[in-house]
Amino acid sequence: MKKGIKYTVWAVVVVLLAFNSIYFKKLSEVKASDKKFDAVAYAKGLYAKLPSVTEKAITLDQLVNEVNADKAKAFSDYGHALAIGSTRFFMVKGSGVVKEINESDVLLSTAGGNDVSVATEFVFGNAVRDASGQVNLNDFTNTVDLSNISSEVDKIIRAQVLPAFKAAVKKGDKVDFTGAIELNQEHLNLGEVELMPVSLNITK
Amino acid sequence: MRRTTIILLLLSLVACKPKTGANSGGPKKVAVIVSTLNNPWFVFLAQTAAAQAKSLGYEAKIFDSQNNTATETDNFENAIASGYKAILFNPTDANGSVVNVNKAKAAGVPVFCMDREVNSTTGPTSQILSDSYSGCVDLGKYFVQQMHKKGKYVEILGIVADNNTWNRSKGFHSVVDYYPGLEMVAQQSADFDRNKGMEVMESILQAHPDITGVFCGNDAMAMGAYQALAAAGKANKVKVIGFDGSEDAIQGIKDGKVSATCMQFPKVMAQTAANYADDYFKGKRDFPKKIQVGVEMVTGKNINDYIAYGKK
Repeated sequence: MKKGIKYTVWAVVVVLLAFNSIYFKKLSEVKASDKKFDAVAYAKGLYAKLPSVTEKAITLDQLVNEVNADKAKAFSDYGHALAIGSTRFFMVKGSGVVKEINESDVLLSTAGGNDVSVATEFVFGNAVRDASGQVNLNDFTNTVDLSNISSEVDKIIRAQVLPAFKAAVKKGDKVDFTGAIELNQEHLNLGEVELMPVSLNITK
Repeated sequence: MRRTTIILLLLSLVACKPKTGANSGGPKKVAVIVSTLNNPWFVFLAQTAAAQAKSLGYEAKIFDSQNNTATETDNFENAIASGYKAILFNPTDANGSVVNVNKAKAAGVPVFCMDREVNSTTGPTSQILSDSYSGCVDLGKYFVQQMHKKGKYVEILGIVADNNTWNRSKGFHSVVDYYPGLEMVAQQSADFDRNKGMEVMESILQAHPDITGVFCGNDAMAMGAYQALAAAGKANKVKVIGFDGSEDAIQGIKDGKVSATCMQFPKVMAQTAANYADDYFKGKRDFPKKIQVGVEMVTGKNINDYIAYGKK
């Protein structure tokens, strides 16, 4: 009798151990729980924040003046970049008159006498992501995720900002712009400033 | 009697303790373990890292892994056993090198990766890497413009197991693939090696003599591809693009052999890694897991701003 109880207890222990040691889960559930970074959703969120960033942005004319007056200070005060190096990105705003319409860009001349080439085809790279100042490097452990943010934000701009502007813009139009520019502190070239647009409005 | 035995046992244990951490009052030792010394770019990286560690007051030694993960494992074991207190590391394989990094971490030796990354966010103390993807986005834009959006081209990839290979390829294709007029007729690996680059290009030219562009994952392969094109009498018809900013490529751009490259800054990466090791010894622990070093596109237009491996 005692033996029977002993065997039963052992059997219960073995069954309990076996039951708690093995789990069955649907592969789809496991895959879903393996959280992957959603660059598309992140980029949408970042794009939605851009109006509040561009609203506070420095005008292009003022930035050029400040860079000419004190390059190091202007880079430190207004420049952003996730990477180490002498390249910095700046969020700027302003307005200008259309001087030229080219295959891949539209050349504007601002009231301050600065020329800026608005990219209307090759909107790629980190300019908008970095100039926004909204992305913290330490929030990411994977550099591919960071690259994907740039790629997705640029994709939104190419789809939502460029087509209407390209279809309507004419020489002599007045254009209000916001966007990101890239400057290299060691090899500064203010004569060839390229703008990755965030918004473009033709005001005639 | 029993007490004597215990004392003897303890003494023997002390005597058997390996000499890891043996420092005999001298400066701390920093190991520079580099994937290969058969490529001048990596020689520059390793020598700069060692020089920076020495300038900070440490003893530094360079270990060559000869592009072989097994040799790299030996180098790690030797470095740990010989009492090196930090490793400035250029891996041979993004996945295969993880075990070596973890081994060092378990031994309390911090690892700072330079230029190439390992697929681990917990092993290395920090990884200092070139922003290869963004550099190749710029090269992709330039390539599209130079090719006037049409033509057949070839891509020569680096080591398939290295993340830089794919970051560069993906950056390039993130632009070029929007242009249906540009047709990639071949994509082959040449392991970041100049001779293999030449052989791969020779073989591709047999099947595709009408290509007008070549994108290479580094400058060594670009120079190899150029040699093959020159030998076939096609050097003037094919645009060659590389990546690194090596001496050959900078001269190649000046001579019109190479259209463009991307300047990496091995000096910045090596010095940052050595400085991080110094910070670690001084008690710092909150390092960014991965930090990118910007790269800059070099073409005939701005070539005078650059020298090999950096800026003038």
